[in-house]
Amino acid sequence: MDPSLLSLIGLAISIGIPILSAAVSIIICGTALAGVGTEKPELLSRLIITVVLGEALAIYGLLIAFMLIGKLPDITTMEAANQALIAGVVISVATVAAGAGISYSGSSLIAATAEKPETFSSNVIGVVLSEALAIYGLLISFMIIGQI
Amino acid sequence: MLEIQKLKVLVHEDYIDATVRVLGHAKIVQFIDVKENPEYWKDYLVPYETSTETRSRCNKLLTRLEKAFETLHIKPDLFSVPQIPFTTDTSQKVLAEVEQRLSELPIEEVKIYALASRIDQIIKDLGIKPEQVENGASLTPSEEMALDQIEFELIELDKTIETTGLSDHHILVERIAAKHLKDFNEIGQKFAELSKFVIDSERYFGKRLLTLKKTAESIASTIVNKLDFENIRYELLLMWTVVKEEKRITEEKQKFLRSSKTVFFEAWVPDTFAEDAINRIKQASEGNCMISDELPSLDEKVPIITQKCPSYLQAFGKLECAYGRPGSGDIDPLRIFAITFPILFGIMFADVGQGAIFVILGIALTYLRKKGKIQSQSDIINYLLISGEMLVYIGFSAIFFGFIFGEFFGPSGLIHPITLATIGPFQIGGFEPTQEPMKMLRFAILVGVIHISIGLVLRFVNEIRHKHYKFAPIPVCWIWLIFGSIFMWAYWGGISNISLWFSEGVAMLSALIILPLLLIFIFSARAEGFMVGVGFTVEVFAETLSHSMSYSRLMALGLIHSAMNYLFLVLGGVENGVFPLTSIPLIVVGTILVMIIEGLVVFVHTLRLHWVEWFSTFHSGEGIPFKPFETTK
Repeated sequence: MDPSLLSLIGLAISIGIPILSAAVSIIICGTALAGVGTEKPELLSRLIITVVLGEALAIYGLLIAFMLIGKLPDITTMEAANQALIAGVVISVATVAAGAGISYSGSSLIAATAEKPETFSSNVIGVVLSEALAIYGLLISFMIIGQI
Repeated sequence: MLEIQKLKVLVHEDYIDATVRVLGHAKIVQFIDVKENPEYWKDYLVPYETSTETRSRCNKLLTRLEKAFETLHIKPDLFSVPQIPFTTDTSQKVLAEVEQRLSELPIEEVKIYALASRIDQIIKDLGIKPEQVENGASLTPSEEMALDQIEFELIELDKTIETTGLSDHHILVERIAAKHLKDFNEIGQKFAELSKFVIDSERYFGKRLLTLKKTAESIASTIVNKLDFENIRYELLLMWTVVKEEKRITEEKQKFLRSSKTVFFEAWVPDTFAEDAINRIKQASEGNCMISDELPSLDEKVPIITQKCPSYLQAFGKLECAYGRPGSGDIDPLRIFAITFPILFGIMFADVGQGAIFVILGIALTYLRKKGKIQSQSDIINYLLISGEMLVYIGFSAIFFGFIFGEFFGPSGLIHPITLATIGPFQIGGFEPTQEPMKMLRFAILVGVIHISIGLVLRFVNEIRHKHYKFAPIPVCWIWLIFGSIFMWAYWGGISNISLWFSEGVAMLSALIILPLLLIFIFSARAEGFMVGVGFTVEVFAETLSHSMSYSRLMALGLIHSAMNYLFLVLGGVENGVFPLTSIPLIVVGTILVMIIEGLVVFVHTLRLHWVEWFSTFHSGEGIPFKPFETTK
C-alpha cells in the first residue's frame, strides 16, 4: 500500500474515532445531566465535569491528528507509515475505552449524586480514572509519533 | 479555627419544651441525633416519643390560621415576623392558649375592614393616584353592593392584575403612548390605540377600585362596634409564628432520649457560646437539669464552624467545598489550593496574550461585582462574577508560563522561551512545547511529583494534628518513595533503560524504592494489621505510579493549547513574530474559540488534578458545617 495513503488512514482514525467516543459519552452523560438539572439545578456546576471530560477525548484525538499532519511530508517509507497508522489506532482504542468508562460511570455518578450529594467525592473517582485511560493511550501514541 | 464543645444535658421532662425553645431563640447549638448509636444508651434510656397528638394539634392550628388568612385576604409572607415573647410553658400549654385566643378572635366580623385594607394595598401597588382618576363614582342604591360582591370582584381583580402584569406595564405604555399619540402614520396610530386601551382599562380599574373602596367604607361606617383590624392581623401573625415554632420544637425533640421523668440530649456548641448556652438551659429549666460539657474525642465527626472566605479567595472556596469540606481537625488547604491551582492552569494555558486578556477580564468582573452594577439571577453570570479574582490569578500565571514557553497568541515566535533552571534532565522553561515534547513531559512529571509531595506534607500535618503518631511516618516514607522513583527515572535515562535498574542500579533501587515501600508496609501493618498493611502498600505503589503519570496531561493539554493557536497563526500567515494586518480577525476568532472551549477543558483538568490526585492524599472532604438549631427565620 502507498505510504501516504496508509498514514492518511491513520490520521483519519486518530481524529474520527476519538470524536465518536466523545460524542457517545456526551450523549449519555448530557442527557442524564439534563434530567438532574430539572430536579436539582444546584448540582449542575459540579456534575458538568462528566461532559467536559468526555469532550476532552475529542481533543486528544485532535492533538494526535495535528501532530500527524505535521509529520505527513516526512512519511515516505512504509515503516513510518505503519507507525502513523498504529499511532492512530492506539489513541482510538484508548479513547473508546475511556469513553465507555465515562459514559457508564458518569451517568451513574449523576444519578447517585442527585440522590445523595455527599457521595460525589468518592464516586467521581470512577469517571476521572476512566478518563486517565485516554491519557495513557495519548502518551504512547505520542511517543510513537516522536519516532517517525 | 474555632473549637466546638459537646454538651450533654439531662432535663426534667416538664422543662424540656422551654429549654429547646430558649436554645432555638439563641441559635447557638446544634442538636445531635443521639439515637444513631444505640449501643451507647440502650441499657438506660428509651427514644423520646413525641406525642402524635401534639403534632396533629400543630397541624390543625396551622390549617385554621391559613383559613383565617384566606378569609381576610392576608398574605402572611408579605409581613415581617413579629417578635414572640419567651415563655417557660410546655408546648401543650402554649398550643392550648393559642387555640383559646384563636377561637375568641372575631374573624367574620372583621372581614369588611380586611377588604378595605386589601383594596388600599392594591391601589398602592398599582400606583393609582385617587386625585387623577375622574371622580364620578358616587354611590347610587342600585350600585351599592353586598359584602360578598365586593369580595368576588376583588378576587377577580387580583387575578386580572396577576395575569396581565398591569402593575409593571402601565408606566412603559404611558411613555410610548406619549411619544406616538401625535404621530399620524399608521403604526403610530395603531400603537396609540393599543396604549389608549391599556390606559383606559387601567382608568377603569382605578375607578372601580375607588368605588369599591367607598362602598366598603360606607358599609364599615354603619357598624356600631368598631374593631381594630391591624391589631387582629398582628395577633394572627403572632399565633402563626408561635405555632410554627412549637412544630419545629416537636420535630427536633425526636432526636432526644428519655428515662421515666427526664429527657436526655446532646448538642454541639461553639466554645465562645458554651457559657451562654449553659446559663440559658439552667434558667429555662429553673435548675432542674444536669449539664456536662466536654471536648469531642479526636475521631468523632465534629461539625466545623465555617468561616467566611475572604472575597479574593471566594472562587477557590467554592471549588473546594464542591468536593467536600475539610474534616474536623483537618488543615484547611484553601490557601495552598489558591496558589497551586493557578500554577497548574498556567502551565496548560501558557500564553502571554491570552493571559493578559484573562487579567483584564478578571479585573473588570471584580470591579463590577464590588460596585454591585450587575444584579443577575442567571447562574453563569454569577459564576463569572464570583470568579473575577480567580481569573486575575490564572491570567498572571498564564502570562508567566507564556514567557517561559515563548507563546504570544500561540507559538508566534515573538517571544523567545526563557530558561529558568535546569535540574539534571529536567529543564524548566527555555523550550517550545510543540518542538520538544519530551522536555515538556519531564517538566510535567516533575511538577506532578512536587504537587503530590505538598499534599503528602499536608497529610503529615493532619496526622500530627489528630495525634495519630502511628501513621505519621507513612507520608514521610511516601515522599521518599516518590522522589526516589523520579530520581531513578532521571538518573538511568528514562523508562526505556529499566533493565539497568535491576542490574547495575540494584543498590540504588533498593535504597530509593524498595526500602521506603518496606517501611510503609511495616508502619501500616503495625498500625492496622498484616493484611491491611499489604493492601495499603500495593495501593501506595499503584497510586504513586498512576498519579504521577496523570500529570502528563499538563504536557498533553499544553501541547493541544499551542497546537490550536498554531492553526490560526498558520491560517493568518504569521511568521517569525510578524503579525500582518489580515491575520488579526483570524486570531481574534481563534482566541475566542480557544479561550472558551480550551479554557473550559483546561479548567476542568486542573480541577480534576486537585480533586483526585491532590486531595486524595490528605483531604477527606467529610466535614459537616455547623448549623445551629433555630425556630424562627
